[in-house]
Amino acid sequence: MALVELPDWAALAPVLALAATALVIFVVDGIDPRRTDRQLLAGLAAGGSLFALALAVWFSLAGVGDPGFELFGGQLVVDEMALFFVVVVAVVTALISIASYDYMTEHAYQAEYYSLVLLAATGMATMATANSLVTIFIALELASLPSYALVAILKENRGSVEAGLKYFLIGALSSAIFVYGVSLIYGATGHLQLGAIADVIAGEAEAGAGHAIAEFDGMLGLGVLMVIGGLAFKTASVPFHFWAPDAYEGAPAPISAFLSSASKAAGFVIAFRIFTEAFPIDAMVGIGVDWTVAFVVLAIVTMTVGNFAAATQENVKRMLAYSSVGHAGYALIGLAGLSGANGEFVLAAAMMHLLVYGFMNTGAFLFVALAEHWGVGRTFADYNGLASRAPMASVAMTVFLFSLAGIPPFGGFFSKYFLFVGAIGVGSTAMLVVAAALVVNSALSLYYYSRLVKALWIEEPTIERATLTKPTGIYAAIVVAAVMTVVILPGFGPVADAATAAAAALVA
Amino acid sequence: MTVPIEYYVLLSMAVFCIGLFGVLTRRNALMFLMSVELMLNAANINLIAFAFYHGNVTGQVFALFTMALAAAEVAVGLGIILVLYRNFRDVDVTVPSAMRW
Repeated sequence: MALVELPDWAALAPVLALAATALVIFVVDGIDPRRTDRQLLAGLAAGGSLFALALAVWFSLAGVGDPGFELFGGQLVVDEMALFFVVVVAVVTALISIASYDYMTEHAYQAEYYSLVLLAATGMATMATANSLVTIFIALELASLPSYALVAILKENRGSVEAGLKYFLIGALSSAIFVYGVSLIYGATGHLQLGAIADVIAGEAEAGAGHAIAEFDGMLGLGVLMVIGGLAFKTASVPFHFWAPDAYEGAPAPISAFLSSASKAAGFVIAFRIFTEAFPIDAMVGIGVDWTVAFVVLAIVTMTVGNFAAATQENVKRMLAYSSVGHAGYALIGLAGLSGANGEFVLAAAMMHLLVYGFMNTGAFLFVALAEHWGVGRTFADYNGLASRAPMASVAMTVFLFSLAGIPPFGGFFSKYFLFVGAIGVGSTAMLVVAAALVVNSALSLYYYSRLVKALWIEEPTIERATLTKPTGIYAAIVVAAVMTVVILPGFGPVADAATAAAAALVA
Repeated sequence: MTVPIEYYVLLSMAVFCIGLFGVLTRRNALMFLMSVELMLNAANINLIAFAFYHGNVTGQVFALFTMALAAAEVAVGLGIILVLYRNFRDVDVTVPSAMRW
């Protein structure tokens, strides 16, 4: 018997904490707009996201997500998967808030920057809890609109504006396609809440005017396809990945880290939820819409395109951007493998990969932020010999790169290994091809990741460098990310348990 | 006498395709925004027609949300187009092309 009964909506506390922090930053800036206390603003942003992180971790340890709270008539749900992904989003937000303190030194609009970051984080956390196509779309837009502005926030910088424009144009197009897909699904089933859609598809409930779902299964299939298109944009997967390299290259580096880690994870959480809750594969095969085929193709094409394009890049940030597309392909295996008996294991592996990716990829982009802060240049050759000047940051970057490639001692190896074992365990020929593609692509990715490691440690610097500064914020964020990438290995037991429980609750 | 639902779907598909055509062929950023707006409103036609057909108001409520979000999207988009014009002296979406492959 608890001393105080909390109301149901208290389960949303981590999301509310992020939203409240964004508004508090606005108020603080509104009191005296002329005087910008950068330390206070960055501290508030980091503190708010750490608070949200603490709440989310506490909730998942206390078992709030088991069996899961349905709020507002099933529009939002706080279950284990939601808390798991709120943790990912809050971690990345905290890391980039700390790093932005040094990176955005010269920028005129500090409060707006941090507010937009936290509003986007609120949207991503809401995406994790959304349980109806309405809330999913609103949360998606809440995450996207601040992101467009954040990418283009360096208003005098042509690269940033170009990146913002491209991101916005493709984002607007894909959200229009997504919402049209939603309208077709609504037409076929008469519902927008995910569970209610599943009931209609399984034939347990009638769609609105008493017609059978079979009359509309063509429309439903088209709607599902368009929804996949909208999700591919958010997760930077083929065919809507074109924006990613441009947006990540032009955006301020902490924002690139934010978009490629947190935003991608949030895109995947709605993909996982839509396709397990609303369109369970057994029922969908029954009416002739087998969406795992689409995800098998998308996973293979995405990882291949991402890795091959990354291998040809000379610009480090662009290489990381394409590698981020490749990693979206790895995470898509989670959906491609849902058809078999091993479905929940593959899904859990994809969730683990997204968590580990949240640390290692954010860290790698923050090292690029550090390099931009030093002004050393953008290509591989410009990074030559940085290790002799900044050994600690270079060790951290080496950890990130080897973990991204999937070298054994680091977290990235284990999540990729689980994906591989899971994909083989599903047992279908298509999934064996996917598993083979995963191995081939990981081997290829080692080439371009180790090229950067070689530049850092072995190559001689092309120009003589003065001593490099040590900006506290970026260093702290990089070191934390590196430590987490390493220690997540002994900690993998609890992480794996949390992910497996979340996936099992979803698939069952 | 009500109009059969098929006609509404045909209308919305036509509007959606016109919007998509505009997105793919227009180079002016403002025309691009208008085309996206057409695509969003095609979804609204569907939502409202099907809300009437199914006899529940879920679709109508969602259409209201979509309109509000479309307005917000245009606001952010116009801001980006404004900084685009300041930097490039043009609103042609093919002009900024420093980054490719």
